[in-house]
Amino acid sequence: MKLLTCPMNGPRNIDEFQSFGPVRAKLDPNATADRDWSRHLFRAENRKGILVEWWRHVPSNYFFLAERDLVTNEIIRTFDASQLRDRA
Amino acid sequence: MAAGVATRIYPFMPGGAADGTRLVSGAVALSDLTDKPRFGLKGGGSAAWLAAQGIPLPPVNRIGEHRGMRILRLGNEDILLLAEDAAETLADVKAIWQAAPAPKGYSSWREEGWAWMRLSGPRLAEAMCSLCALDLRPQKFGTDDIAQTRVGHIEAVTFRSPAGFDILFDITASAYFARAVAAVAGHAA
Repeated sequence: MKLLTCPMNGPRNIDEFQSFGPVRAKLDPNATADRDWSRHLFRAENRKGILVEWWRHVPSNYFFLAERDLVTNEIIRTFDASQLRDRA
Repeated sequence: MAAGVATRIYPFMPGGAADGTRLVSGAVALSDLTDKPRFGLKGGGSAAWLAAQGIPLPPVNRIGEHRGMRILRLGNEDILLLAEDAAETLADVKAIWQAAPAPKGYSSWREEGWAWMRLSGPRLAEAMCSLCALDLRPQKFGTDDIAQTRVGHIEAVTFRSPAGFDILFDITASAYFARAVAAVAGHAA
């Protein structure tokens, strides 16, 4: 059984979670070139490395962030979204 | 329908969606508390409004108590009041909330959206062990702890009650849950 540690509920079976994809920059559609905006809407990055992703713990409907290594699939850490706001 | 007659039909009642589904009894017993009073608030302002009414709020995933009601903190702004034996106190809180101006959160409609069931009996620990993957032994999971997890393969909120474990889950899964418990009870007996 693969475990993921929810910052609010603690370690749980990964079945209890839903992935919501990477945290992405919020572009301003009025200030972004058409080519970049189209890329933002329709293209997904597929690079190696460490990514910050949105996850949801389904039973508690709690959204949080996880840093995941895309090569090893290792989850490096999980944290509350407020930490990302604090860092920005 | 005549005044004074209950207008809500809960799943296990005659005419309900789970009518005819057997609730196990014996070494593992399942009872239905879905018609007991409860009230949930959710969203910005919920916690502040309840605190302003003098209701002490426990930390997230803990249970508090206020005038016979159990106060379940399911999230920073997601709070559930259970009033199995404090219907009048809860009715007062609801009436004040309905008349209050915003911000006060919004009703999470737990009295209609969630089933409330209680698992008890001498083989409770074995049954719960088969229904839920978490370590719910008394030394790990106390009387004021809440687990938001899966019980019987469905998303649920579970916590201890004096008789055993209470489980709250999507009311539409009532019959499914009763059958899942019956299957486990068959193995545990």
